[in-house]
Amino acid sequence: MFLQTQGITKEFGKLRAVNEVSLEIVKGDIHAIIGPNGAGKSTYFNLVTGYHRATSGKVLFKGKEITNLPAYSRCNLGITRSFQITSIYPKLTVYESVLMGLLSHRKVTLNFFSSAKKFFKEEVWRTLEDVGLADQANTLGDSISHGDKKRLELAITLGTEPELLCLDEPTCGMSPEETDIAMGLIKKFSEERGLTILFTEHDMSVVFGIAKRISVLHQGTLIADGTPQEVRASKEVQKVYLGGSA
Amino acid sequence: MVIKQTEQKESMLKRGWWLILLIIIFLIAPAFLSEFYLTVLCEALVMSLFALSFNLLFGYMGQLSFGQAAFYGLGGYTVAMLITKVQFNFWLSIIAGVLVASVIGLIVGFFCVRLRGIYFAVLTLAFGQLIFSVVFKWHDFTGGDDGIQGVFPPEFLKSPTNYYYFLLIVFLLSAFVLWKIIHSPFGQTIISMRENSERTEFLGIHIAKYQLITFVIAAAFAGLAGAIWVPFYRSVAPSYLTWIKSGEPVMAAILGGPGLFFGPVLGMFIMTFFHSWVLGFTIYWPVVMGALILAVIFFLPGGILGFIQEKVNERKEIRNRE
Repeated sequence: MFLQTQGITKEFGKLRAVNEVSLEIVKGDIHAIIGPNGAGKSTYFNLVTGYHRATSGKVLFKGKEITNLPAYSRCNLGITRSFQITSIYPKLTVYESVLMGLLSHRKVTLNFFSSAKKFFKEEVWRTLEDVGLADQANTLGDSISHGDKKRLELAITLGTEPELLCLDEPTCGMSPEETDIAMGLIKKFSEERGLTILFTEHDMSVVFGIAKRISVLHQGTLIADGTPQEVRASKEVQKVYLGGSA
Repeated sequence: MVIKQTEQKESMLKRGWWLILLIIIFLIAPAFLSEFYLTVLCEALVMSLFALSFNLLFGYMGQLSFGQAAFYGLGGYTVAMLITKVQFNFWLSIIAGVLVASVIGLIVGFFCVRLRGIYFAVLTLAFGQLIFSVVFKWHDFTGGDDGIQGVFPPEFLKSPTNYYYFLLIVFLLSAFVLWKIIHSPFGQTIISMRENSERTEFLGIHIAKYQLITFVIAAAFAGLAGAIWVPFYRSVAPSYLTWIKSGEPVMAAILGGPGLFFGPVLGMFIMTFFHSWVLGFTIYWPVVMGALILAVIFFLPGGILGFIQEKVNERKEIRNRE
């Protein structure tokens, strides 16, 4: 058992954003969470990554209960995330940004006297090469294009060498070409680095093109969970979400 | 507060001769300065150390502390009380001053680091004034508004020149340590927190813990600044702990440039020397200072050193293109 949520619920006042969702994410999978706007995808994501705490239910990671752990502890256990609105370091260089993830993950952030630049050069360059940002290593985060920023965030999260990478709308705001590149990268990292990927996405072609498993949320409730074929065939999904078009 | 760190570091290295020249000037300064200006130079060095401690929080961690003078004052008071009341060893008194400032910094910081931005600033201000009030009111223990007089350094440090060299050594060593911290993985972490604390937390960093460590380091160096100043001035007063004193490093950082390591130092030197000079012909020093700060904020938003750095970089870029 890799990641499991047992009946997790999140209420914001009277609104039940996530309603008793029980779900299992299998190690090595590329797992998509889909659903119409307001279905609770992002909230579910936030419960897994520690941005929000569940009102009830449990989150288990590798058999350990993490329901009430703060975000940084979950990250230290191997869960890293990206944000829907790209979250990078605008005034740090691309190189420094990626380095930060490694410094944190490799537990050297309490080193007060060595030069930070001397650490993990090889790993930073490898990651930059992998995501195709090596030629912009010395550019500031806010001076690169939107698609590059998304890739930079991916590179930063990879620095923490996660086991479970949670991507909240990884292709949001990207052009079709950028989307293709991003999805290619995600697939590559899943294969090469053995990453398990949990992602939310609104673009159905992306979802069905890459996901091995899809879970569908509707009004906070899980209405389908299975392979892309199974989900595509589900009557309920067609009714509430795909509008019969898929 | 735009910092182009890589460029900054490269240019610092290339222009290392600058620093060496400055150190030489400081080493031979007593030969050329009157005793009055030597005293002003001593004050500028101590206040610069105070400003560097403050800028660790402000310029690098991105949180404005308005209570930094409390730690400066605590360092000074610890030394003054140990030396005058129990004739404690001078060197150990200074170490004790640093320790007291650090311990109080740990307690105050424990509460302050839970907040960010304006709430952090207001809470540090509140704690600063609280500590000031205790020192001010507790007459039997601290001397209240009389302060403490007769705080003498050892015999060989009684001459202003000797004490100046002592201050210079402490300043250079402290600046070196702070410089190392800022460029270490720890420094990179607090800079990342300033740039995007959410992103940093989601990389596995316990934000409050790192803020607390930074707060304690800043308190320790502020305490050191107070501790080395008091025996030179031979006395300490509650005014050392007030929010007005806390405002001085804020102004120095804005004046010199909070984004550059030596920005607050330049700011403090300008303020200290300008202060002594302006007082020669008007008592309305705050008016002059206010005008200066306004001018810098409007015309040089990165501070004076920030502006110079920007111009140097521009010229370098042009030269590179040619």
